Amino acid sequence: MESDEALYARVKRGEMRAFDELYARHAARLFGFLRAQLPSPADAEDVMHEAIMATLESKEVEFDRGSFRTWLYRIARNRVLNRARSMGRGKGALVKMSVEPERPPGADERIAREELLVALESAVRRLPESLSDLYHLRSSGLSYEEMADVIGIPLGTIKSRMNQLVELLRKELLPWTAR
Amino acid sequence: MDCTLIQGHLIGYHFATLADDERAAVEEHLVACGECLRTYLALKSFVDRGSPAEPGPSEAARLRLRAAVEARFRPTPARRVTRWLRRPVPLYQGLAVAALVAVAAVLAPAVAHIVLHDDARSTERVDSARPVAESLTIY
Repeated sequence: MESDEALYARVKRGEMRAFDELYARHAARLFGFLRAQLPSPADAEDVMHEAIMATLESKEVEFDRGSFRTWLYRIARNRVLNRARSMGRGKGALVKMSVEPERPPGADERIAREELLVALESAVRRLPESLSDLYHLRSSGLSYEEMADVIGIPLGTIKSRMNQLVELLRKELLPWTAR
Repeated sequence: MDCTLIQGHLIGYHFATLADDERAAVEEHLVACGECLRTYLALKSFVDRGSPAEPGPSEAARLRLRAAVEARFRPTPARRVTRWLRRPVPLYQGLAVAALVAVAAVLAPAVAHIVLHDDARSTERVDSARPVAESLTIY
């Protein structure tokens, strides 16, 4: 299988099949990463468009300083932060708050599972920015090393914050898991 | 471990933050408990996709991006020429061209001489009426 970096070089030579392959590999996850932090699917599509074009056009992208994926997520993350700054708000405020779900009164397995997911979605939206960043990058499939590269903090700090994140989510979901 | 405890650990299991013994206990439980396994798969699907009901980017967005990339990076005649001039040439091709040039440089004067000399000779007139080698007549 051809590497992302080889496909990147081919796209820059105008080979559109290479673009189609690269898009198929990364677009869905990248869109999910953006959608979770932006108010609407249209906003996520706009930022995804900007991030992919910027990654292709940037003269700074060098693969000895990070893989294609880390560059893509680094640029996408910066675009989300820029959008939040231009709107004059913190990144957390970009996302609409969901309604706090009520504890299901003895629902059956499927309904209970759906309620658990709603509770998880709500808990994720309430995460502090430092942990929300980690959650979205990790759920996009990035390794701890890639996350450290994208955010620009030490690997040890990433691991420590991931433990904090998981513990926070576990406590938030306790009413839906302790039955 | 019972289901309550296991389900509390599912996020940590998915994000690989559990200690080895906790991870092993979760895996052992998931093999045996269908309900917890279904819960884990639903959580995993939600986390990996971002939301239970969220589709991916639209086809229109894909086509718009593709068109932009194609317009930006489509090879123009100027880019094609530049790329051809900058292309890496295999060593054997370079050596072959260099050898041809060298042979041509060596042979060119000789070829030119032959061509010019032949031209000069072709303009000579043989006078058959003139006695041959008069100077050799021995008296």
